[in-house]
Amino acid sequence: MDVFLQIVVNGLLLGGMYVLVSVGLTLIFGVIRVANFAHGELLMVGMYAVYLLSKYLGLHPYVAAGPVVIFLFIIGVAIQRFIMQPLMNADPEIQIFATVGLSTALMNLALLVFGADMVSVQATGLRERFHIGSVRLIYANMVMFLTAVTLVVGLDLFLTRTYMGRAIRATSQNRLAAPLMGINVKKVYVLTFGIGAGCVGLAAALVAPTYPVFPTIGTYFVLTAFVIVVLGGMGSLYGAFAGSMIIGLIDSLSGFYIAPDLREVVYFLIFIIILIVRPTGLFGLGRGSE
Amino acid sequence: MFKTGLRTVAAVMLIGALVYLGSAIATAASPPTIKVGALYPFSGSLALLGDESFRGFELAVEEINASGGIQGGKKIELVKADALDPNQAVGEARRLISVVGVQAIFGTYASTLAFAASQVAELSGVPYFELGAISDPITERGFKYTFRTCPTSKNFAHAAVDAIIEAVAPALKIQPKDLRIAIIHEDSLYGTTVGGYEKQRAKEKGLNVVEVMPYSKDTVDMSSLMLRLKGANVDVVLQTSYVNDSVLFFRQMKEAGFKPKAVIGGGGGYSMKDTETAVGAKNIEGAFDIDFTQYQTNPKAAPGIDDFVKKYKAKYGTTPRSGHSLANYFGAKAIFSALNKANSMDKDAIRTQVMNLDIPAGTTVTGWGVKFGPDGQNTRCTPFLLQWQNGELVTVYPASAAVAKLKIGVGM
Repeated sequence: MDVFLQIVVNGLLLGGMYVLVSVGLTLIFGVIRVANFAHGELLMVGMYAVYLLSKYLGLHPYVAAGPVVIFLFIIGVAIQRFIMQPLMNADPEIQIFATVGLSTALMNLALLVFGADMVSVQATGLRERFHIGSVRLIYANMVMFLTAVTLVVGLDLFLTRTYMGRAIRATSQNRLAAPLMGINVKKVYVLTFGIGAGCVGLAAALVAPTYPVFPTIGTYFVLTAFVIVVLGGMGSLYGAFAGSMIIGLIDSLSGFYIAPDLREVVYFLIFIIILIVRPTGLFGLGRGSE
Repeated sequence: MFKTGLRTVAAVMLIGALVYLGSAIATAASPPTIKVGALYPFSGSLALLGDESFRGFELAVEEINASGGIQGGKKIELVKADALDPNQAVGEARRLISVVGVQAIFGTYASTLAFAASQVAELSGVPYFELGAISDPITERGFKYTFRTCPTSKNFAHAAVDAIIEAVAPALKIQPKDLRIAIIHEDSLYGTTVGGYEKQRAKEKGLNVVEVMPYSKDTVDMSSLMLRLKGANVDVVLQTSYVNDSVLFFRQMKEAGFKPKAVIGGGGGYSMKDTETAVGAKNIEGAFDIDFTQYQTNPKAAPGIDDFVKKYKAKYGTTPRSGHSLANYFGAKAIFSALNKANSMDKDAIRTQVMNLDIPAGTTVTGWGVKFGPDGQNTRCTPFLLQWQNGELVTVYPASAAVAKLKIGVGM
């Protein structure tokens, strides 16, 4: 029983990390309707930024979160303004090519600048464990989980309670009708991409103490993030949350009860089943949406 | 697309043949040299260790040239070729053979590159010498002119299992059969091959393997794996891994409170300083590693190892970054001594002399000997058992090569 409880807790904590990584993706996916294949590389860029800040300025990774979120927000804004916007009316595959190209370019840029060696952010104490009853918890994972919950709730409040948030939702519901209501769609897109990238910056700051950084680290997370986003329903925050928890639990449970190398098999099977039964994802808007 | 490809290849080959003829005529009059190709990954993600491997080879060539060359005073002319993936390895091997006109190729550090390049060399009848790639099938394809001087993944796996019986169990004062062993490995070609041989060897030796777990090297979480190892009361873990999964293993082992009696890695992530830095010296303390000969080795078992380090420092201005340069230096020296005796660059004369090589173990810089089997694989190279102690990888077994005493326990 103890072991089972531990596995479930591990799964939920892992899910918390997946939430952080996939929230930005689902936002960009849902609003701008662009599959951002450079998402993982944004995470990599963020992690390198955290590494540099902690190494040269001695900032704690959690303190570095502030500047890194702003930095990635700016990068996100730039990507939308200078790469995606000129392609707004191009075919979807052209947009995908653009993000794939960006992904490759960023990865190789990192190889050029930092080399293939891995570096890691020193974070004393964050990887220590503590106990609640018989269950072991790691501080860093706990922080990730709590931040994930706060982030999802906070973003939801922003999207439902503020003018800008409502404009973003309106644009995602109908990008042709939104400008007729006086919404500046271009501005909404630029801002959304910025917020999405900013979320990745936050994820980078929290993930950096637990994982080493190297140029291809993004690819380790991005596939899972895409599965989660499609599973939960593109553009749905709570969908991404639920999807992350499901994938985290499947990961953890099947890794223990089936085999560590088969857990991807298990979650892709569940993924396919959900796509067949409910193609728009768990929390998707249903077939009518764009 | 395919058609133009063929046409280009044909054109390149034609041009190559012409250039080759031209250069053959041109070089007839100049002082005699022997051109050899050095095929390594000098760019891309394999570049660091590719370059490190090349340095060992380059040092060997310079040393031989300084002492008057081979085959009666002929200098060795080294032609570098950069292969960052198998396609490029094929292209560069073709260029070396048909355009540059090399008479032997040395390389390559990475197994996928060795596969591709040796194929080209064998078909062209140019001897190919592998000094650093460990995948077994490279010398299992029945090639006549492909030789390998370094150990294979099977040697690594056997050495790891034998180390449990000969070194670890005695130090723990436990019968080898009473140890509960787990074999975990990343599930790409490298891990699967080594892990498979380990399982086989452990069975042959009657050891108690309680878990065999492959995992994806791209994994971001090993907590379930840890719980299983812990639940199975594993005493000894054999891991075959790259850097990232080694780091994850050590971090999560600590987090899960899993304390095995010994952890033995098979090269890869365990031999890299990067792993030690990421994990922290005190967490990796005591972990074992089966590997190419490294520099913390007793010079009595590896005569000349100190000299090598001195020469390396003098030329490159740093200490060697890994044992790869040493393994390449060792291989190159042995092969060139055979080429010297062959007295021509005829492929069959070379094969005869390479097969005649007979260097006892414990007399070279790596401590390995040289005696090739009919398949072209060196049979006298056994990797040593090393251990992380105070942030350094030191040789602990066999006793003749050891510089430190084997310690018990993982982590401080």
